[in-house]
Parts: sequence; structure tokens; C-alpha cells
Amino acid sequence: MLPYAIATTNDVGHAVTLGSDAHSEFIAGGTCVVDYQRIGVDREDTLVDISTLPLATMDLRADGSLRVGALVTNSALAYHVAVGERFPVLREAILAGASPQIRNMATTGGNLLQRSRCPYFRDLASYCNKREPGSGCAAQDGYNRTHAILGGSSRCISTHPSDMCVALLALDAVVHTQSASGARAIAMADFHVVPGEHPEIETALRKGELVTYVDVPATRFAARSHYLKVRDRASFDFALASAAVALDLDGTTIRAARIALGGVATKPWRSV
Amino acid sequence: MPNPSVLCSLRGQPVVVALVERWRPDGHRATGAICAALRGLGAALVVVTHDAVWCVRPDDEAEALDDAEATRAHAEAIARARRISTPAIVVLDEHGEARFARGTDGDLSVAIANALEGALCTIASTEIRMTRREIVTATLVSAFALSLLDGCAHTSVAHDGHDEARGSDVVVLHVNGADHRVRVDADTTLLDALRERIGLTGTKKGCDMGQCGACTVLVDGRRVLSCLTLAARVQSARVTTIEGLARGDSLHPMQAAFVAEDAFQCGFCTPGQVMSAVGLLAEGHAQTDDDVRDLMSGNICRCGAYPNIVAAIRRARGA
Repeated sequence: MLPYAIATTNDVGHAVTLGSDAHSEFIAGGTCVVDYQRIGVDREDTLVDISTLPLATMDLRADGSLRVGALVTNSALAYHVAVGERFPVLREAILAGASPQIRNMATTGGNLLQRSRCPYFRDLASYCNKREPGSGCAAQDGYNRTHAILGGSSRCISTHPSDMCVALLALDAVVHTQSASGARAIAMADFHVVPGEHPEIETALRKGELVTYVDVPATRFAARSHYLKVRDRASFDFALASAAVALDLDGTTIRAARIALGGVATKPWRSV
Repeated sequence: MPNPSVLCSLRGQPVVVALVERWRPDGHRATGAICAALRGLGAALVVVTHDAVWCVRPDDEAEALDDAEATRAHAEAIARARRISTPAIVVLDEHGEARFARGTDGDLSVAIANALEGALCTIASTEIRMTRREIVTATLVSAFALSLLDGCAHTSVAHDGHDEARGSDVVVLHVNGADHRVRVDADTTLLDALRERIGLTGTKKGCDMGQCGACTVLVDGRRVLSCLTLAARVQSARVTTIEGLARGDSLHPMQAAFVAEDAFQCGFCTPGQVMSAVGLLAEGHAQTDDDVRDLMSGNICRCGAYPNIVAAIRRARGA
């Protein structure tokens, strides 16, 4: 890991300014950033510490929707009573991911921006278009039993590792951001992008754009929802395949359904 | 014109560089066997501290060097290039090339073992450009240099303030109820700060990438991975390590339960297991043994002591 500096701020606007520098990146829980800095995949000189920004609250609003600050930890979100009652798929997905220690550190905003776990992406000696655009994709003919079935391109077939994002996609969540040019809202379905010709671009975020909070709307299907995850180990492993399913039932009749898939596509994949 | 680094002027002979926080030559003379090896092979030892640089030769008193600043910068640059933090040992060959470099533990015997093992692994896994004679030199002088580290590893830093060029700073960490002033770089993890700066080696470095749980500590009462926590970011937090659980000679109930249930074999993962288990019970989400297994999945035990670990947690919960 190369030396770098840590910049701190209590102001969202200031954080966005600091984060707009080409040589900086945001750090919150740090579970991804510190790891990827150490193995040399991330090489930004300056970390903008956003952990003291006022984005760590959860609000259950009158319309039944949930507003989750970007700095709310995975543990806090998963174990929130309202999440268990109204959005069980979200609780189950988060608790299916990582380990308790990591969930205590990792944040909602950071989870949205998890980096690829493709072994070739993490190995600096391997060709990887996501890490070094134009260098090639070693996974195409390599060890790829964990790679994407859906949404891949000849440039990249790495899967998106998050469980939480799969649930948020099924729940029609909306990501709110702040940048130098103002605030905007991005639907979960549009937040992550498929690799295409540019696997180095993973989300709709622009440089310096900061995730501020995520809105999970109240829907008729959210309360009857479930997350199923299949993996090599019984716990603490990334998905080989997973599904977030939410149903709006009228007796035994399905009025509406949401199905999102994880572990099988280059981004959280909306099936139904 | 500043003086050149003494490491350049010593070219032509092997040099062992010991980067330490603080060292004074009082009472440090080489032992007979190491002296003989140094003399026979013409190796020199350079001890680099924050405020001085010493050249140590067998049978002689240590000599304080005038060109300390350049030498210190040179040694730190080598350590930085090799991505190691202090205290550390670097062995340069006669061409000035670093053949072995590694940070050391606070515990002297562990440091020696690690250094020797590291040197042998390095030599075994790379194209051998050292003669057997040189290998013997490197290992012997490493041991010699490490013997000088006794009493150095636990001392606090020699000067305060921010050093922008190195991205380092003196921070205060609140660990087990005590405040520790330590110098850390921006990228120094809490794990390395605990082990290498403060000398609390109970917290173990396993994978150093968040996958094994051996480095688990409590930060403000919550279990986290110290290998993925930057030390400079937890200055306002309370850190609890395995050393902070017992009260005098009285073990924490979780430690006692691990002993009673024989919940370990080699013991390397045990501090992390115990800290994780303490965090687990504080969280209060584990109702059944299956819950315990799932919520302890962040801690890997290569020996496979899992059934006894679950039993220990069951026992501690009932205690």
C-alpha cells in the first residue's frame, strides 16, 4: 500500500469538492477501500473520510417508506425493527452478506459501490479490462465458474458481489446523490451499468458524486419478500446465485411480483 | 550540500539496517558468535532511529554518525519501497540492494523467528544470487540486529507533530482504557498500530484482507476487523483488544469458557474468536447454536475447533 493522506470534513458540499479531485476517493466503512488500496487495485493518493457527515440516520416516514442514510451500517439497517417487519428481503439479503465484523463496519453507500471480486481483477499480474482498460479479460477463458451468465461482454464477465443491492433492486429503491452540479435521484435499476465496452465504468455516478441516502418505497409486495442465496460455504461467502423475491398476494393469486437475481450477472439483475 | 547517506559509503560489504523508534548504544555489544561472523564477513550494522543514526561494528563502541539525516531518509525510502513499517530489519548486499526486509513484532523472540523464517523463504523462493556464506551472514546479522531491538519496540515515538512528506502523524489511540501516543502513516492499520507501535501482539494478523477474523477487536464495543481499520480514523474511539478483557488474574467469562471447553488447538485464531464471541453476545442476536455458527462465520479456525467454540459461547452465555 502506498502512502496517502486522509482528508476529513463534516460538510457534504466540502466532501463533494474534495472527492472531485482525480486523485481522491471517498472512504466510509473502509472494508473495500482499505482492502483494494492494499492489494494495489485502488491507487488514489487521498482518501476523503466521510464518516462524520450527517448521513447516518434512518427515517421511517409517514407513507411507510424508509429513508436510509448512506452511512448507516449494514448491521444497523439489517437489525432495524421496521426493516424486519416491512422489508424482510432487505434484512435477509444483508445478513446473507459478509461477516458480522464487516457488517458492523460497512455502510449502505459503500455496499452500493462494492468492487468486483473477480480474481483477475484483484490480481495485478492478470489482464483485466476493468482494472487496466484495453489489457484484456483473463476470465473469458480462465477460472470462471463464479462469473456472469447474464449481462457480460467480451470485455468483462465479472459479477456484482452485493447481496443488499439485489434486495434494493427488487424493492424499487432509489439512490439519492449530491455532486457539485446538485442533487439527483437514480433508480436502482439504473444505478449499476453492464460492462459493455467499458467495464471500468460500474455505476451511473460521476467523479466526486456522493451517495447521500437511499429511499426504499412502501409497496404492496415489500412485506412478503424473501432472499435465497446459494454459495460454496454455508456462510460468509459470495453468492454463486441468489434471488430476491417479493410478492403481492391476493389469497393464492399473485397480483404482482418482483424478482431480482444476484451472483449470476454483471450487475444486480431484475428478472421480473 | 548535505552529506551522503552512510548506506552508500558502506557499499562493498553487507549492511544490516535496523529501523527502530528509539535506541541508545548503552550496554549493547555484540555477542561472541555474531561478532565473529560480522568480523569474518565484513558486515556492518546501522541502527536508524528518529533522531540519530549509529554505526555498530563488532567489538567496537557504537559510533554516532554525522550524516544522520540523509541516512535516515535513505533507510526510510528503502522501507517504504518495500512497504514495511518500523521497527524493521533490512539487509543490503554489497551492491546496496535490499535482499531482505521486514517489519518486526514487539516480542523479540517472535521477531527473530519471523525474520529468520522470512529470510529463508525469500531466499528459497527467488533466484539465488547469494552464496551460502552470504546467507549465513544475512541471517546471523539479522539476529544480531534484532537483539538490539530489545526494549526499543515498546518505546513511544521520539518526536511529535505532523510530517507531511511521509503522510504520518502522531495520534492518540485509546486502547484498553489507556491512551497511547503513536506515530502512524495515513495507511497504517489499527492492527499494525496495535502490534508494531503499541506492542499489543495478542491481536493476530492472519490474512490481512478481512477474510479470517484473527484481527477482530472491539471499537466502541462493536466487533470489527482491525486489518481493515485505518488507525488514524479511530482516534476518538475506545478500542478493546484481547489484552483488555481480563481483570487482573481474573479471566473474562468468555476466556474462561474457551479454556473450560478446550475451544482451540494451535491458538492463533483464538484472540479473534474470543473478541468476536464477546461482540456476538453484546449484539444479542444469537438465540440458537445455529445462530452462533452463522454469526461466528467471520472467524476461521484452521484447526477446526468449531464445535468447542460453539460450546464455549453457549457456556459463556449461560454464565
